Amino acid sequence: MAKTKNEMKSSSLTARRGVILMVLIAALAFGGCIVRIAYLTLVKGESYREKAEAQQLSVTTLEAARGTIYDCNMNVLAQSASVWMVYINPSKVTDDNRNDVLTVLCENLHLDRAELTEKIAAHAESNYLKIKGEVEYAEKTALVDAIYANKLTNVIFIDGDTKRYYPNGSLASTILGFTGTDGNGLYGLEYLYDEVLTGTNGRTVTAKDGVQFELENAYEVTYDAEQGVSLQLTIDSEIQTILEEALANALEETQAKNVYGIVMNTKTGALLAVANLPDYDPNDPYGVLYESLTAYFEENGTETEKADPVAAARIEQWKNKSIADFYYPGSVYKVFLVSGAYEEGVINDNTQYTCYGTITVGERHIKDFYTTGHGLETPCTLLVNSCNTFAVHVGQMMGAELYFKYFQAFGFSERTNVDLSGESSPAVGITYHDPDVSFTYSDLASASFGQSIAVTPLQIVTAVSAIGNGGKLMQPYVVEREIDFQGNTVSVTEPVVKRQVISERTASTVAGWMEKVVSDGTGKNAYVAGYRVAGKTGTSEKLGSSDTAYIGSFAGFAPANDPEISIVIIIDEPRGANYSGGVIAAPVAGEVIERTLQYLGVEPTYTENDISTMTIAAPALTGLPLAEAQEKLNGYDYTVRIVGDGETVVAQCPESGRYTPVNGVIVLYTQQNLEKEQTDVPDFTGLTVYQANKLAVNSSLNIRISGSGADESSVVAYKQDVEAGAVVESGSIVTVSFRTTSGVHD
Amino acid sequence: MVKRLTDYIKKQGGIFAKGGIDVMFFAFLMLIVVVGLVMLYSASYVYAYYKYEDSSYFFVKQLRNTLIGFVLMLVFSKLNYKLFTDIGAIGGTLLSWMLLMLALIMPAHNGTHRHIYIGGFQFQPSDVAKFALILTLAAILSKYHNVIVSKKPLQAPLAQRLNSTLGRPFFNDSLKIIVPCFGIIGIYCVLVLAGSHLSGTILMLSIGLILMFLGEVRGKWFVGGGAAAAAVLFIASQTNLLKDYMEERITSWLDKDFDPLGARWQINQALYAIGSGGLFGKGLGQSTLKHLYVSEPQNDMIFSIVVEELGLVGAALIIVIFALLIWRGVVIGVNCPDRYGALVAMGVVFQVGVQVILNILVATDSVPNTGISLPFFSYGGTAIIVLLAQMGFVLSISRSSRIRR
Repeated sequence: MAKTKNEMKSSSLTARRGVILMVLIAALAFGGCIVRIAYLTLVKGESYREKAEAQQLSVTTLEAARGTIYDCNMNVLAQSASVWMVYINPSKVTDDNRNDVLTVLCENLHLDRAELTEKIAAHAESNYLKIKGEVEYAEKTALVDAIYANKLTNVIFIDGDTKRYYPNGSLASTILGFTGTDGNGLYGLEYLYDEVLTGTNGRTVTAKDGVQFELENAYEVTYDAEQGVSLQLTIDSEIQTILEEALANALEETQAKNVYGIVMNTKTGALLAVANLPDYDPNDPYGVLYESLTAYFEENGTETEKADPVAAARIEQWKNKSIADFYYPGSVYKVFLVSGAYEEGVINDNTQYTCYGTITVGERHIKDFYTTGHGLETPCTLLVNSCNTFAVHVGQMMGAELYFKYFQAFGFSERTNVDLSGESSPAVGITYHDPDVSFTYSDLASASFGQSIAVTPLQIVTAVSAIGNGGKLMQPYVVEREIDFQGNTVSVTEPVVKRQVISERTASTVAGWMEKVVSDGTGKNAYVAGYRVAGKTGTSEKLGSSDTAYIGSFAGFAPANDPEISIVIIIDEPRGANYSGGVIAAPVAGEVIERTLQYLGVEPTYTENDISTMTIAAPALTGLPLAEAQEKLNGYDYTVRIVGDGETVVAQCPESGRYTPVNGVIVLYTQQNLEKEQTDVPDFTGLTVYQANKLAVNSSLNIRISGSGADESSVVAYKQDVEAGAVVESGSIVTVSFRTTSGVHD
Repeated sequence: MVKRLTDYIKKQGGIFAKGGIDVMFFAFLMLIVVVGLVMLYSASYVYAYYKYEDSSYFFVKQLRNTLIGFVLMLVFSKLNYKLFTDIGAIGGTLLSWMLLMLALIMPAHNGTHRHIYIGGFQFQPSDVAKFALILTLAAILSKYHNVIVSKKPLQAPLAQRLNSTLGRPFFNDSLKIIVPCFGIIGIYCVLVLAGSHLSGTILMLSIGLILMFLGEVRGKWFVGGGAAAAAVLFIASQTNLLKDYMEERITSWLDKDFDPLGARWQINQALYAIGSGGLFGKGLGQSTLKHLYVSEPQNDMIFSIVVEELGLVGAALIIVIFALLIWRGVVIGVNCPDRYGALVAMGVVFQVGVQVILNILVATDSVPNTGISLPFFSYGGTAIIVLLAQMGFVLSISRSSRIRR
């Protein structure tokens, strides 16, 4: 006890002081800790909390499906499909799993292993690396299985994505446009209707943990996606195809820079087909489809275009030139001049004029194409002959004021307001738009035959439709209906009558004259057997270009008495000797009109002349006893060839239902396994319809006549769909295109 | 032999300690142990499930070790602590040095040599070493107290010459004890540091210095000792291993935007957790940052989850309980009739205090990140067992402490 006391005493004052000091230090340190935590929770708390929440919330976008674009028959023109995007977190790729990651990705996504290894190594520090986009369903499913099998759920991730498909490739591409990689519309309808088509994306907001898995039972809020609206167009894929095929042939044949065409419903203004070639494939909009376009810029481009002709071609091919580009309509404009003059009484049915092949306006002598002069003319023959001098005379009689009254009335000084992107406003600064600026007689003279006034192809087809439509100018449109994702109609486009441009009487009178243009005049090559086509040809010089360049065009409608369709065909900068609209554009128009009206089921009414070139469906003879077949054929005008010694027809050429000339050839085979009879295709070029028919029968072939079928010495074959010298089965059908090159220049 | 042993036991006052334990200390301790276990479970279950698909993985192991530690605590609290004066010093030091060296020759784990692995169990010798150092220094400082406070000039020739130059007995006899003590502390530190355990070294040094201070070593010697320690630390920090390690920790402490997905990830997430806690916290179990944001939330950063769930108020309360435990330990020590018991009791509670303070300073980004666990909260088997054993010692001491009740 004493000892303890002793020890207690030795616990000296200094020791006590040391303990107190230590306790004080500890108390201070604890106090400091509390103050520090108070600072972090109360002062800095807000910002830390925000940062914490920001990293804890996972926002998943629910992509609104982009609306589909349909043609008028609800055939899909553009559609979005679900695809997937694969990415990885490279920082989670370790030495242990690297091999698995590479194998899973390479095997399922068909990637190059060496390349991928390098790519991952280069991004080893980051948390995100896109591996592949636009992965399709089958690939994605296989990948998901592989990810789970190899336990790589924290390394490889898959996100939903969409891809835009254009099932018909380049069909109507300049109307449709295309979308960018993030699905937004960049061109055409995709661009103009982007907002409608896109819809509104939804979101799912969830809490997530530090390794990106969703927290169970954590809160989740979903804002539904508003699906995009679909469009039903007035475009008819079938007519669009007809137009594009005809234009493609024309492009190849004329070696033109561009060819455009529009087919419109005359009475409503609905666009049935709009094509601009060269065009592109919206599935791969950055690829250049036509090498000729690149070549054009290499040769004729500006310095910048020459430096990168592919880029220039790319931009050019996207352009919807039939609404974006102006051109001089040339003689096509004469129908509007004459319409205005007739409406105003400047001319009437009895007006006469004698053409001497030239006319002098002020100091200027204006020559007609037909320099010897057309002689005595009426307003009808003004159009039929496409007489410049008479047109100038009519223009002078009207004066600038009346001329422009109708220029404006037909809609050439304003946009058509079509629901397509990229329609140009009428060129500003051109004198005729300014009433204060005097328009000289010389200017008026040029304007009278469509030179020096700039219009778009769409304006022309719309104005021509007004003549076919009893004088009512329609507003063209391309979207028929907007449809929500459940199929309900959101809105329907009602045809809009812009104004009555000319009286019904004037319209029908001019339409009658235009029909004469096709039956007897410069529009002959647009003649279609069975259908009354009204139209007008035009050839204009492209001013401003260094070399003389031309635009040949044709505008018209059919059937002339009760039009269903209007059409404009423009061949821009054709190469070679033929550049007149009557030679190069009219046959294209004729082909399109014929096929379109047939497709639309418009009943043909044949003239006597037509009947001689008419076609007829081959009867079904296969399987019949030979005698019966021959008896059946008695009702036809066929030249019949029988091959074999059998008693029954086992095969026939052409097959039943194929259209042949009424006086064509039919080959019947009466024995099985007989070798088909072959024949050489002769060269039809330069032959008249009669000569061609005769040659065809002699060669055991049938010809289908395309273009003007008039049996006149000036109408000759200029192309055939099967090359001369090719060997085909006897009885085959060869399409031979006819046109005339005489009396069709303007 | 047996006679000598029984004599020794009799001299020390018997095998068992007499008197009652300090109930207040025990109550604070139990409160901390329970709160610590609850918080460990709350902080760790997400990570445990993620890593082992067993939410209670860490909790169950910690609970088992706590029970083992509890048994040890009861045993030690019952035994007469004075019996360990010599055994604790000599045996403890030799044992812990051996264990520390064993850890050094064990294969590296995570680039360090901090653990010993025996058949699936891992064992951290530095936890034992801390206690051994306390026991050793307490034994020496109490046994040679009179030398430490002695003002007799040192008889060594160099000291005599220096003293005569200074004109006063600056170098006195206390150096005979102080220098070996610093030497022992130094060896402990070097062995721990060699295992790339910087935080352990800092703790070891702190414990050593606190005990020397409590053992009435004159302040002037701390200047020398401190200078020597600083020199050792500086040299150690220049070795390549520690240089990169320290450099990154210091850079990431100074530059708050440094490597947010790497070096600063854990501390940033800890700060977000603390900040999200606010005044009253999100409520027990409601932490969101423990959902794999705060890395290894059962370990050094557990305090950030505590603040997130219990808020400033809860955290302050826990700190206050720790403070009360330390205060009570100091009271037990100050009232202990013998210097050995006083030093051990205070050494143990101050060790806890230093660890709590350093841990909170790290979790609040107040000092560079060193891995110091939070006593009774952080997951760690050796730590909890040794801590509870140490508490047993304090309880044993409290039995003979003359606290006015």
